[in-house]
Amino acid sequence: MIQSIIKRDGRVVLYEQGKIAKAILRSMEAAHEGDASDAARVANDVQLAIEEKCRNSVPQIEEIQDAVENQLMNHGFNESAKSYILYRANRTRAREANTSLMKTIDEITKVDARSSDMKRDNANIDGNTAMGSMLQIGSAGARSYNEAYLLRPEHAKAYRDGDIHIHDFDFYSLTTTCTQIDIQKLFKNGFSTGHGYVREPQGIQSYAALGAIALQANQNDQHGGQSIPNFDYGMAEGVKKTFHKIYCQKIAESVEDFLDEDNKYDSIVILVEKTERETGEMAQLKESDVFDHTVAAKISEEGGIPLDSAKHLVKRARVRAEKRTDRETFQAMEGFVHNLNTMHSRAGAQTPFSSINYGTDITPEGRMVIKNILLALDAGLGHGETCIFPIHIFKVKEGVNYNESDPNYDLFKLSCKVSAKRLFPNYVFLDSPFNLQYYVPGRPETEVATMGCRTRVMANVYDPEQQIANSRGNLSFTSINLPRLALESSGDEKVFYEKLDEMMELVAQQMLDRFEIQAQKHVYNYPFLMGQGIWLDSEKLGPFDEIRDVLKHGTLSLGFIGLAETLTALYGHHHGESQEMQDKGLAIMNHMREFCDNKSQQHKMNFTLLATPAEGLAGRFLRMDQKRYGKLNGVTDKEYYTNSFHIPVWYPVSVSDKIRLEAPYHALCNAGHISYVELDGDTTKNVEAFETVVRWMHDCQIGYGSINHPVDRDPICGYVGVIGDVCPRCGRKEGETIPHSKVADLQKLYPEMPAFQGVE
Amino acid sequence: MVRENRDAKMGKGIGFERIRRITGYLVGTMDKWNDAKRAEERDRVKHDMSKNA
Repeated sequence: MIQSIIKRDGRVVLYEQGKIAKAILRSMEAAHEGDASDAARVANDVQLAIEEKCRNSVPQIEEIQDAVENQLMNHGFNESAKSYILYRANRTRAREANTSLMKTIDEITKVDARSSDMKRDNANIDGNTAMGSMLQIGSAGARSYNEAYLLRPEHAKAYRDGDIHIHDFDFYSLTTTCTQIDIQKLFKNGFSTGHGYVREPQGIQSYAALGAIALQANQNDQHGGQSIPNFDYGMAEGVKKTFHKIYCQKIAESVEDFLDEDNKYDSIVILVEKTERETGEMAQLKESDVFDHTVAAKISEEGGIPLDSAKHLVKRARVRAEKRTDRETFQAMEGFVHNLNTMHSRAGAQTPFSSINYGTDITPEGRMVIKNILLALDAGLGHGETCIFPIHIFKVKEGVNYNESDPNYDLFKLSCKVSAKRLFPNYVFLDSPFNLQYYVPGRPETEVATMGCRTRVMANVYDPEQQIANSRGNLSFTSINLPRLALESSGDEKVFYEKLDEMMELVAQQMLDRFEIQAQKHVYNYPFLMGQGIWLDSEKLGPFDEIRDVLKHGTLSLGFIGLAETLTALYGHHHGESQEMQDKGLAIMNHMREFCDNKSQQHKMNFTLLATPAEGLAGRFLRMDQKRYGKLNGVTDKEYYTNSFHIPVWYPVSVSDKIRLEAPYHALCNAGHISYVELDGDTTKNVEAFETVVRWMHDCQIGYGSINHPVDRDPICGYVGVIGDVCPRCGRKEGETIPHSKVADLQKLYPEMPAFQGVE
Repeated sequence: MVRENRDAKMGKGIGFERIRRITGYLVGTMDKWNDAKRAEERDRVKHDMSKNA
């Protein structure tokens, strides 16, 4: 007679036959066979079998479960047996997830981020802070749950084994990736952040402050980086209002001085607005003699000031207003950059991952914004530090800023000078055919814009009338371990393509499953993103509406890593080494892009091909493959897989060849792409060379590119530039000391030097 | 105070900041990078400006 059983954790509990019968009945119900009396009979035989087997010892729970499987089959309940086995396997998976979750949380809690690679998976989260750790614990819990309960078994296996990587997996059931926030639309009539209502801003300072808040608010509704596609066009509205206000102020001050009277501001505002109605022109940066003369005539008439004096006075007021607006715009831009580098989102653990796009607004106000955001970037933070956020993206366009005769060419030049010092802006090229096909002059929303590391959204099969950058973004992305597929194909191209097709089908299905979860959310789940109409067409929905249809403006992106290693595994060398391999590389990419295009047509949803950023993935896939296949020359012999379609970072190649070889992949990877080149030495001393590289990128039809060069800083003397072993300004080596007197002397020479912490 | 003492030394144990592009964004100090990306950054070679296309 069985009295007790031993559970998995070693505890001994009372044996209850009823519990076993209940579990058997559940399996029978799932398989649509048998009834309660059948279940009781099977449970009885389970008990007999156990008594036979264990005699006087106490049975283990696993032994009882084995007996249940056997007896179900003995009684001919084969389907019930299958369902019981599946149930058991699922329970095991959930249990294992629990154990590994506890281990993970243990590491997050106890280990310093410097010695825990896991805690540095995302360099933008400080794993050593309380909120950073809390975020990582929550993330680990969500991953565990999602894997055990939300994925189909074949998707869970592919993810666990490293065949694929499901990005932002912790947010699987919660939200989508990113959006291009159209600030022009947002600021019109004001908005609510979900915590309070904000009126339509009235000057560049508040435009800039609200721009930062918008990025922060949306960062809490989505898991990816946030971006502004039309920074110059949007902020220009604020400059317009600021100029208008200051123009009136300066005239009022001059009139007050002239007449020796006070409080003229309100009457001047009325006078200027009246002039605007009469002339049909605005008091704006663009100088208008007609307008200024009309204002002067009215002042002369109403204030009894001689006309010539009034004209002179308005002229001087205009000059001062322009200067002051310029200064306020600079301060606003400086504040914007400082805000984005210091404000926190997501439980305080992250600085908002933000991008801003600009460069094409040719109005005087837009130009003032572009100039000053570049100057603010150039100035750096309080101690001259290089700003990490936002990512600046300069839009290059022939006829606008690329040629010497273009209206914004001066700003393009300035951008090169700043990027040569600060690594930003990056460049997006509107003339490349795959971007130019959407471009409509006068409609900024048709200018391609980039967000985060590289994400790009333009085509729209769901709504071909709205092929725009604004108010759209990526929903989710999953990457394929391309080198693994090559390694599993033993050099057989045909086998490789078959495996690739199979894997792409699996990924497409997984992203559709994820979409199904995302689509069932409601507007109220995203108070800012959907509630404030940030996302395209969400303004047409009510708070309790499902977001399924509007989400279809977004993209589902299939990504990949390690084209170079894939080619080496399949054919022996990579696409930097021969034209033949370049052709093979492009053939693989073409094939993947075709798959995405076909899926898009089939589902009327935007499937796109992504050159995955792969910050954490570069090491994850490699480590798993090294364990499987060992260190294979040119494939698994490094500590990372090469990013997307890049020529390997260690392979010597000229700037022009790197750009020429990588450009054709930009046309194929329509979900996002980036190429960078590494320049040697201090690029600030050779801005011309820097500009040449940007122009090569443009002429080779790169989509999105940037130029890397060393930017070092000595926090003691504040020097920014290239530092080898020795700081060129103060002469110390890393970790070495210098006398305070020397720092004091240098401080006189370089007034922008920081005050060293602990000394002052 | 230290400030008054012109012979006092400063900078002990303080390294240089080295800002690099990690994927598309920048990271202020290399010690926040994961091991694989650190290795990748170490392996990056400079590209020369010769136009040999």
